[in-house]
Amino acid sequence: MARAGIDQQTDMEISAPPAKRCKFMATEVDDNLEIKAVLTTEYKKDITLIKVHSCQLETKQQLQSVVQELSQKLPHFHHLKRVSDRNVLICPTAEVEHTLEQHLQGHAFSDSVVKALCRDVKVIEVPADRAKLRMQYEKMKKYWPCKFHPDKYAESLQNGSNFTSKQRIFHKQMAQLLRSLTKNVNAGQPVGICVDPRQPSIVAIAGSNDTCSSSHRHCSMLLVDYVARSQQGGATQHQVDFVQDDDASKTTLRGIPKAFHDYIRQDEAYKDVQCGAQMSVEYEQQQVEATADNLAKYGPYLCTGYDVYLLREPCLMCAMALVHSRVKRIFFLLPSDNGALATRFQLHDVKELNHHYEVFQFITDGT
Amino acid sequence: MAAFMEEAFVEARRARDAGEVPVGCVFVLGDKVIARGGNQVNVTRNATRHAEFICIDTTLAYCREKRLPARQLFSEISVVVTVEPCIMCSAALHTLGVKEIIYGCENDRFGGKTLVDVAAVVGTRIDIIGGVRAEEAMDLLKEFYKGENPAAPPVAKKKK
Ligand SMILES: [Zn+2]
Ligand SMILES: [Zn+2]
Repeated sequence: MARAGIDQQTDMEISAPPAKRCKFMATEVDDNLEIKAVLTTEYKKDITLIKVHSCQLETKQQLQSVVQELSQKLPHFHHLKRVSDRNVLICPTAEVEHTLEQHLQGHAFSDSVVKALCRDVKVIEVPADRAKLRMQYEKMKKYWPCKFHPDKYAESLQNGSNFTSKQRIFHKQMAQLLRSLTKNVNAGQPVGICVDPRQPSIVAIAGSNDTCSSSHRHCSMLLVDYVARSQQGGATQHQVDFVQDDDASKTTLRGIPKAFHDYIRQDEAYKDVQCGAQMSVEYEQQQVEATADNLAKYGPYLCTGYDVYLLREPCLMCAMALVHSRVKRIFFLLPSDNGALATRFQLHDVKELNHHYEVFQFITDGT
Repeated sequence: MAAFMEEAFVEARRARDAGEVPVGCVFVLGDKVIARGGNQVNVTRNATRHAEFICIDTTLAYCREKRLPARQLFSEISVVVTVEPCIMCSAALHTLGVKEIIYGCENDRFGGKTLVDVAAVVGTRIDIIGGVRAEEAMDLLKEFYKGENPAAPPVAKKKK
């Protein structure tokens, strides 16, 4: 695929095609496309600080009894070391209603510890949250000694080393396909692609349709319904021709409109792209393998384990539809004014939700 | 308008009897119900087929049939639903610009008001009234979740 890209580029330089075509080619074979994780707030560079009471003990001999009582009666600061030399963290200032002494007495500290803790009390700032990334840790430890457990995967998301080059090539190929289908098949209206990343293989493709009076039929909404089609479900009445399966096939093309499928099969650049979804099976008949994930264990269920590629950042309705559908990862190309993953909101940062996908954005050099 | 909640309950019970999460919804225009539906997630294998979306689709078909402008019609619609609309449905209803939303019990897992301030994200405000026959709506849900969602993968069973 990368080779095809280079060929086209050379072609373009030699034959100097008309301006419009030229612009199209330039975006079409963009090898400067990067894939950047849209990380939630806990991975952000800026760290949050809180004000806390700290004190300096008179002697190190007091440490044991002081720390023991603190960890039982005011169990704060699990992400920090409680003690630094003779300095001890007591509690956030926001918790103390009257004096620190009264606060400690209210928590049934022994007199000797109260006395030890109320000597040389200062208000200082310490990191409010646990460090997830080394970069955050480096900043945080300047304020107070922190605990830190390196997380290789989080680091790789942050520095972009999470994909192998083979995976990277596939993701970029899907980005290119999004653009091609949008422009050449769907009259410029945004398109979405759902992929089973295990092969990888295209499960469903949907393009939003201007003539649909329904302003809520965005391509993500159609896409999850086309995925349902691939599982013998599906709700919406579509004025769309879908690919028919032949009886012998082990996978299904029911989620892919014929126009998109024809385009992919006719374009040399996508000759290696696989299409077809695993057939859904009745869950009871499944052999359960203890080590496999849900998709491997139980077969297709909604979009569990599937990746979704979108031309545009989804709106809040679509972003939540993809949560309900249990999508594994979302990749999008262009930000939207009403986007709910990066622009206006970060739905994947809402901890209370029962499912969280990872979000990636394709970034072109210079945008 | 709260009187129409009984109609929504009829749809919720119908959904329950079909093995779906018991949530029901009606769209009211003037003093007439123009759309009604319950969840159809399991039968369609589509997790977005909530009662509200069934009603939205019916309403759009109604507009096409009667050749009415959808945007104007939605602005006159009262949405009456047994459970607080989820973030997805609430975003759709805010974007479509319905007149008001009246709901039964809160949706603390996905609520478009309780969990995320959808109005702020979408940038439109509509009147929302909650707590109409909330206990009955909640009882329906509780009763349902005591049994199991037949279409969910069996992994949920292990947690017990
Ligand atoms: Zn959308
Ligand atoms: Zn909903």
